[in-house]
Amino acid sequence: MTPKNILKYAYYPGCSLHASAGEYDLSTRELFKKLNIGLTEVPDWFCCGATPAHNVDELLSLSLCAKNLELAEQVDGDLAVACAACFSRLKTTQHVLGENAVKRKQVEKAIDAPVPLSGNVKHLLDILARDLGLERLEQAVAKPLSGLKVACYYGCLLTRPNDVPNLDCVEAPTIMEDVLKAVGAETVAWSHRLECCGANFTLSRPGVVIQLSHAILDSAKAAGADCIMVACPLCHGNLDIRQKEIEGVYNALYAMPVFYITQLVGLAAGLGADKLGLDALIVNPMPLLKEKGLV
Amino acid sequence: MSRIGVFICHCGENISRTVDVERVAALVGTLPGVAFSTDYKYMCSDPGQGLLKKAIQEQRLSHVVVAACSPRMHEKTFRKAVESAGLNPFLCEMANIREHCSWVHEDRDEATAKAVEIVGMMVERVKKNRVLPTITVPVTKRSLVIGGGIAGIQAALDIADAGHEVVLVEREPSIGGHMAQLSETFPTLDCSQCIMTPKMVDVANHPKITLYTYAEIEQVEGYIGNFQVTVRKKARSVDEDKCTGCGVCMTKCPQKKIPNTFDRNLGMRPAIYVPFPQAVPNTPVIDRENCTKFKTGKCGVCQKVCGPGAVDYEQEDQLIVEPVGAIVVATGFDLYSIEEKPKGSPIKGYGEFGHGKIPDVIDGMTFERLASASGPTGGKILRPSDGREPKQIVFIQCVGSRAREKGISYCSKICCMYTAKHTMLYHHKVHDGQAYVFFMDARTPGKSYDEFWRRSIEEEEAVYIRGMVSRLYQKGDKIVVMGSDIAVGVQVEIEADMVVLATAVQPQKGADTLAQKLGISYDKYHFYSEAHAKLRPVECATAGIYLAGACQGPKDIPDTVSQASAAAAKVMTLFAKDKLEREPIVARVREAGCVGCFYCQKVCPYGAVEEKEIRDRQGNLVKVVAYVNPGVCGGCGTCQATCPSKSVELDGYTDEQIVAMIEAL
Repeated sequence: MTPKNILKYAYYPGCSLHASAGEYDLSTRELFKKLNIGLTEVPDWFCCGATPAHNVDELLSLSLCAKNLELAEQVDGDLAVACAACFSRLKTTQHVLGENAVKRKQVEKAIDAPVPLSGNVKHLLDILARDLGLERLEQAVAKPLSGLKVACYYGCLLTRPNDVPNLDCVEAPTIMEDVLKAVGAETVAWSHRLECCGANFTLSRPGVVIQLSHAILDSAKAAGADCIMVACPLCHGNLDIRQKEIEGVYNALYAMPVFYITQLVGLAAGLGADKLGLDALIVNPMPLLKEKGLV
Repeated sequence: MSRIGVFICHCGENISRTVDVERVAALVGTLPGVAFSTDYKYMCSDPGQGLLKKAIQEQRLSHVVVAACSPRMHEKTFRKAVESAGLNPFLCEMANIREHCSWVHEDRDEATAKAVEIVGMMVERVKKNRVLPTITVPVTKRSLVIGGGIAGIQAALDIADAGHEVVLVEREPSIGGHMAQLSETFPTLDCSQCIMTPKMVDVANHPKITLYTYAEIEQVEGYIGNFQVTVRKKARSVDEDKCTGCGVCMTKCPQKKIPNTFDRNLGMRPAIYVPFPQAVPNTPVIDRENCTKFKTGKCGVCQKVCGPGAVDYEQEDQLIVEPVGAIVVATGFDLYSIEEKPKGSPIKGYGEFGHGKIPDVIDGMTFERLASASGPTGGKILRPSDGREPKQIVFIQCVGSRAREKGISYCSKICCMYTAKHTMLYHHKVHDGQAYVFFMDARTPGKSYDEFWRRSIEEEEAVYIRGMVSRLYQKGDKIVVMGSDIAVGVQVEIEADMVVLATAVQPQKGADTLAQKLGISYDKYHFYSEAHAKLRPVECATAGIYLAGACQGPKDIPDTVSQASAAAAKVMTLFAKDKLEREPIVARVREAGCVGCFYCQKVCPYGAVEEKEIRDRQGNLVKVVAYVNPGVCGGCGTCQATCPSKSVELDGYTDEQIVAMIEAL
């Protein structure tokens, strides 16, 4: 392998991946190891501010992200981000500070360091689809996910805000479908792949989340999906952890496993259930995976 | 010795508020060569001009400087006044002490000092001004009209009725344009075809109009009064002189499965076709891309069945050169398509509306074809997917328009009115149906327009919801419309049978290429630019070229027809004189210095530079030099800036004049 082909990244897991979304972290590390992609966690990283910070204080939210971007400079390679919210915030910070010199000066004073604006912030999907490339991803498949019908769910933050140079088209992205087709899965065309799940209203106004996430589950089922795939810990929480509750409220039965992107690609790459944290999912995926002969 | 007169204008208080005009007049009066200097409240007024004329005669002035506003404002005024007093108008210059001085400064002393300098520069410049004779060029009293929609038809008829010949060129096989596709028209709901087709017939029968359909502009040369236009008449494969328009070829053509673009692909047509039954001319054309004969060489049915023997497979494109004196551009519009756009396009499509892939999501023009009595459904509103009558129909306005994030920021102007019309047509045809309209604002300025819009709500029962739609998706055989009602502050979801999008009005495809051939300017959306937004709305900056209709910007039928008649009036004004007078601000080549490098020819945007041979008395070629055709020269000065040997100069802007100004500083 020529040096050009060796991929390595600084890794920013974000808070969720060290807590409720441990299986996303585990499966990411295992998958990247399997694909020979280097991943070095950014030393001493901290919270990006997520959705709350920029609603309260823009300077705070920009500074939190800017400091993390600065810390990431210590590690060689572009910055790999798993969580959709962290990704959106870090990208937005780079964009806003690149456009606005006044804000950049304020932030640089706050973090007492220059803000690195040139470093690439990349979501895992971007790394799989473009840096590694669909062709090489295809070659890495040990067990194609044939027969598995997946509803790819983007949620809000993966492709937003609109004016920030982004992962994919805001209104009609295809990157998730591209990746999944490369590993042999079947993706369904469905209506709610870009709708909001209710996000962090899950704590303050769960009624909203139940209504919105119900519409998503309902639409995925109507489209004939076996499971849903996400790339955001909060979406995962709402669709997976609250699924039983939603079924109760709407008197419905979905039994729709909700996977992280790295779990499904990991399965295809030949990783075992233990290395993908499949036991951490609330809706048990084993019956479905057994039926399809994937475990 | 110069005897220069200097006139300082107060411009009411516009100049005198910050510039001490009396002091300027006194100081400038002492400059060498200045024989007379004064100030006056309004130089442009009748008494002001009288003062100027009197001074020229009494003081025997040789040159004049008027220190006032910008020359763009009043140079013509003062040059005319100077001319009427017996001086050559080009011996008069203006010093701009308003826009360049009083309006932009606050300190009175500094502004006064600057005004003195500005006037002083112009005094030195005017000393170098030469007498320039007016240039006259002949006018060819024939006009070209590009585009055979309602704009082009109206302009052509008006000019032809005035007794001048018109060449009308239309890209499609028939004239009629978009208006021929419409069902009924606002605000009176009269049938579009009924008011349109008589005009089309008038064009065909007019002795002064030469009509080229299925033809495009290949090349444009020349200048105002003297254009040479090359028209490419595409091979129709049917001899227009022999064809009687019987239509047997169309009924016998075995290839009948070609989407009918006139019907927005809702129906099918044969390979030999007229776009619609009322086409003018009623001569079919063979669509060579889809014709079996042209694709495989086998068939030839149309030729066999044609009684007069008009079908000619060997016909080739014809290039016809037409000399004309004026050009009216009336190329019209196209509709924004929500489909996925190519990567890198500044215009984005509508992924949230399904990128045009939901069959029962149609645009306004498709609805027109459904509602048209001569359309593919005979005027019945039916869904393209399954032919059922939609009982719940949703209209969405401002799709593409006023959407900066989608790449278009302008208002398309016609959609509020035609959507209101659509709700009425729908209500007239589907009595038990319900129409909803999502709108941002209802913009209905125009005679009887707001009354029309109110009628759609009050009498025709359309439900208007103020707010935009975030997403459309197919659910079973319904289309779910997710929108917001911002008046009430709630989210709205409607399960519709059909959705009609009022998509943005855009210029015709290829508008930029045509503009480059014509040498006219266009904006970033490729709408053609008028010379002045308010005072010269139908003229291009390029002399002799006029605009009519939606090629300049979104317009409805009444506005289009008005502008077309205005453009025709401009053409007639031009044709009213046999010779055209031109400003003599043109470039002149000093042949002794010219080395014949022809850099000037390469940079000239008007194509005015020609080659001229210099021969001695025996007729031997000495050298080839540049020659600027004064009839074509636009007076931009690019050649002057480019010439390496400083051998070409623009009259009125010579190096000598400019250097004199700099030295005066």
